[in-house]
Amino acid sequence: MINNAVYTIAGGDYERGGSASKSLKDMLKKLGVESATVRRTMVAAYEAEMNVVIHAEQGSMHVAVDPSQVDVAVLDNGPGICDVELAMKEGFSTAPAKARELGFGAGLGLPNIKRNSDRFSIQSTPNQGTQIRFTIYLNAQQTRETALNSVRISRERCRECLLCLRACPTAALRIRDGGPHLLRHLCIDCTSCIAVCDAGALAMPSAEPLPTPADDSVLVIPGSLLSQFGDRVQTDHILEILAKLGFGQVRFLEEWDYALRAAVVLYSREASRPRPILSPVCPAVVNLIQVRFPSLLANVAPFLTPLEAVREELTAPHLCIVPICPSHHTALLPKCLLTHREVIQAKTMLDAITAQVSDSPPSDGPYGPAQVPRGVLQVSGMQHVVKVLEEVENGRMDYETILELYACEQTCFGSPVWKEDAFVTRARWHKEARVFTHRASALHRAGALSPRPGLRLDSDMARAIEKLGQIDEITHELPGRDCGVCGAPTCAALAEDVVLGRADITACAFRGSKKIPNG
Amino acid sequence: MDTKALANVKGIRLVSPGRTEHAPICHVYASDCMSDILNHVDDSTLLITNLSNSALVRVVELMDVPGICLLNGVEPEDEMVSAAARQGAAVLVSSGGMFETCGRLYQAYHEGIIAT
Repeated sequence: MINNAVYTIAGGDYERGGSASKSLKDMLKKLGVESATVRRTMVAAYEAEMNVVIHAEQGSMHVAVDPSQVDVAVLDNGPGICDVELAMKEGFSTAPAKARELGFGAGLGLPNIKRNSDRFSIQSTPNQGTQIRFTIYLNAQQTRETALNSVRISRERCRECLLCLRACPTAALRIRDGGPHLLRHLCIDCTSCIAVCDAGALAMPSAEPLPTPADDSVLVIPGSLLSQFGDRVQTDHILEILAKLGFGQVRFLEEWDYALRAAVVLYSREASRPRPILSPVCPAVVNLIQVRFPSLLANVAPFLTPLEAVREELTAPHLCIVPICPSHHTALLPKCLLTHREVIQAKTMLDAITAQVSDSPPSDGPYGPAQVPRGVLQVSGMQHVVKVLEEVENGRMDYETILELYACEQTCFGSPVWKEDAFVTRARWHKEARVFTHRASALHRAGALSPRPGLRLDSDMARAIEKLGQIDEITHELPGRDCGVCGAPTCAALAEDVVLGRADITACAFRGSKKIPNG
Repeated sequence: MDTKALANVKGIRLVSPGRTEHAPICHVYASDCMSDILNHVDDSTLLITNLSNSALVRVVELMDVPGICLLNGVEPEDEMVSAAARQGAAVLVSSGGMFETCGRLYQAYHEGIIAT
């Protein structure tokens, strides 16, 4: 059950300022929400409401409540914020004297909203307006976003080929008891294991039938979807099919890719930024940095990934999204009550289009190259990404300004959901310079990225040192074949499993046999 | 402490008593910055502030503040007093400034004039 409400906010009306928050408070009290939670919601809602009163002519507060959370969106048509990063800093304010007289304008409003909410995002376009969204969870043990991932396992399909063990960039997989076992705290939601698993034991969430779209549904697809149907099918034809299926309004994930790139280029002009700048284009790579390269977190430009930006920016009541990797799925997991979000599996979409597709005259022109501006280095494919991040960590790449790192080969065109070759489909997509009719935004990341403690052996450092010593000792005892027969990707990984109690040393079939010399 | 006891503190005058069913006042918070006030007051906090306006009454309403103490002998407007009364919040006026008023309250607490 969801309770919805919309309250209008009149800009400049200081007398009535706070009335929307008051209505929200009354609603929460009637629903029996705990008083400490009401208080937090009120701080955030009142600050957001007064922002509208102070800066805009009019605005509205949209609220949705269910038994697990309160979602609030505050929209206005005000002057917008030129520099969201600056606005999020405590003490920065552009409030007029009138507001300051009333005790506002200390530059603490936005940080205050963020501090008092569990999820927070802000999107602002100069001269158009600002949109603040926040969520407050009603029970304390709500799962944190970072603790989730979306690789699905069907153990019975596993053929124990061990390919996934070698593919995983964070050594998060084990083959135990005849099937894959995922150490979820290490999994970064990339597609490496899915791409090598022909048996289908590791996969994306399973396909559901195509939903019937509402009249006002907005469909968000990756551009790569359009290039999966060969050279004889024009992309416009596919858009026609989508319209026939009920998806008249189509937006492309690439719109947010380009918006992010523009924002990162602007961000990079400031000389003080840590170099090279890592653009958060791919959520799996952001996860990788959090798990394996925490020292580089400061280099990640403070923006949301494109799919997160879609999630936070689009306020359409019905949103259908085609995610094409586990990290996309995970980004869509946090529930949003204000927008009804429907996830459509790439396979479902492909099948639905394929059923209706007919050959049409091929589109004009030869294949095109992906346009990457000077100063931006695009690297795709997990192996390359890991190498480049190692180079960056070793301080050997500081001359490059912006790095766009994608976990999949040829950017998202290489997602394993696609059957066509990534090089071909990407060139096909760039055959036509598609002009986007909508404007997408890059959204500032409100909270700093924190390292994921996945690799830490123990929360107590003294004990971690002890364990590291034990791991070294056991690793020396093991043959060093890294054969994977024990179910761990390397001998060192098995040693770690033994010390952390995840496996027994007897799992090694070659223990005591001749040691393979290192290197 | 209850708000009426506060009127026994030197220089502090009770303009309008709040609802007695409020939770007893356990904290005192003094600030003129709205964001700080929002973050620190709750239904057991006496708010000491120079702000005397509609926004302040709104905060009292949203955060269930049981009492406000205005400063420097500033007489609150009738409208504000009645608005606060509708929320059940007490209104007090101190003749001193913020620092002095906090000092007096602290002293009164230690002398046992007001008790928690």
